[in-house]
Amino acid sequence: MIKERLAELVAESSDGAVTADEVLAATVPLSALGVTSISMLRLIDAIESEFGVEFDLSDDGMGLLDDLDRLAAHLASTASR
Amino acid sequence: MSVTGPTPYVEFAGPGSAPSTGPPTAPLTWGQRAIWEAIVRTAPDDHYFNFGRVLKVPGSRTVAEVCAALAALLARHGAFRTRMSDPLRTTLAEPYQRLAEKGRLPVVVTTEDPDRVLDELAARPFDYFGEWPVRVALVLDGDRVAHVVLVFCHLAADGLGAEVALRDLRILLLRGPNVRRPAAPQPLDLARRQAGAEGRRAAQTAAAHWEREYRRIPPTMFAAFSTSSAPSGSPAGPPIWRALLRSPALELAVRSIAAEHAASTSTVLLTAVAELVGRFTGHETCAVLPISANRFRRDTTDIVATMSQEGLFTLDRREATFAGLLRAAGPAALRAYRSAYHDPADRNRITASVSAERGEPIHPYCCFNDMRFADPGPARCDPAEITAALAQTSVTWPMSQDKLNCRFCVHLTAEGVSLTADTRCLSRPGMERYLLELEALLVETALR
Repeated sequence: MIKERLAELVAESSDGAVTADEVLAATVPLSALGVTSISMLRLIDAIESEFGVEFDLSDDGMGLLDDLDRLAAHLASTASR
Repeated sequence: MSVTGPTPYVEFAGPGSAPSTGPPTAPLTWGQRAIWEAIVRTAPDDHYFNFGRVLKVPGSRTVAEVCAALAALLARHGAFRTRMSDPLRTTLAEPYQRLAEKGRLPVVVTTEDPDRVLDELAARPFDYFGEWPVRVALVLDGDRVAHVVLVFCHLAADGLGAEVALRDLRILLLRGPNVRRPAAPQPLDLARRQAGAEGRRAAQTAAAHWEREYRRIPPTMFAAFSTSSAPSGSPAGPPIWRALLRSPALELAVRSIAAEHAASTSTVLLTAVAELVGRFTGHETCAVLPISANRFRRDTTDIVATMSQEGLFTLDRREATFAGLLRAAGPAALRAYRSAYHDPADRNRITASVSAERGEPIHPYCCFNDMRFADPGPARCDPAEITAALAQTSVTWPMSQDKLNCRFCVHLTAEGVSLTADTRCLSRPGMERYLLELEALLVETALR
């Protein structure tokens, strides 16, 4: 569920440069799908406001953003806390 | 500029502060505050921050029709009805902004070349307290308006804000001034949100980045009056010069590297600029201030306002290869862009406290502004094509002036890569060598 919602947010943030289906089917990081820095910042902002979290933009935190499964698991664990 | 006929006025009226019960004044937005500080430091050469656009008028429109569209544009966007308020006449110590519900904007009517008209309108600083923050000229072809020239005060709009205004003016010319559209976001509301709880949270995240990095970066990138570089060629000449590198080879190389490393062309250039600053100065950690559009929040994407501000990008150059630098630069650039959405008051406080702690002033004085509206994007290019394009490289000197609020500014535009520098920190031969070595670094990396 969270993963599907994240894929929609990626699509919205990229202004349609990638679709939610492409994001869900992807086996490569978001940056390799053509998601630009601006889209990435929009995505971060959208996730932060929707899930009430704050991203740590360290290299580890960024790795999380590039892997939707890990990100969805992280958000689920934050939400259940 | 030769003016045709009497000066018409655009009589405008628009909503006051929203909610309508609120006062028509607000603190400056963070973006306005940042530009205001830059203007104060650059005066009397502050026309440097003026910029303009020329809109080709769609269809066949009379002066009266274009004036009606302009009135609707000013009604829609409070930024154009907003001026600085004089702090001397109030008890407020800080400058603030005041939104007018109505007013009259003078319009120049001429038959001259639109680009020349733009340069003339942009050549003198705005009266930030008295004048409306947009200047307009209508260029006639016969009795119809062929072009609208708009020159913006940077307190009212940045490059992307101007694009929004131009798009809206075009819609108003095409569909008429009464076209119904959802209301536009307003700078006064943004200023209040930034001062509220949500704004403070974002500001604190950004401030933590500035504070952490200010504790570890070199005090500045280019020391003033460096003895290692000779001053400007002529002692009587102005100290600030701009060198413009036009290099199709550099453009191809940047696109190629971006494609190879799944990075944006902007990040490739930012990384190369920082690495080259390191090579020129010997600093292992380089700090560059990239100007970020700050339009990645839903409420600010389409606002006519000045949103762009400097972020803080730091690059540790211990990584030997450019590919290694680029890997680290991706997350570092995102941290920098997030830090660009900051309250300049926090930044001033941090600059003062860390400077006191370290016993010397801390400021990179080294900025990077990607002003391209159309990024050609990553694309693998033929190495032979890149090498062949080197024959077209040129460096010119389009501008010089006396004062600037920075020492080393790289701008990316459709024309090329320009470096505007204080020649007391980096000589003109040094500036030229910097741009050519930037090209060499990128071309070599792309061909590797």
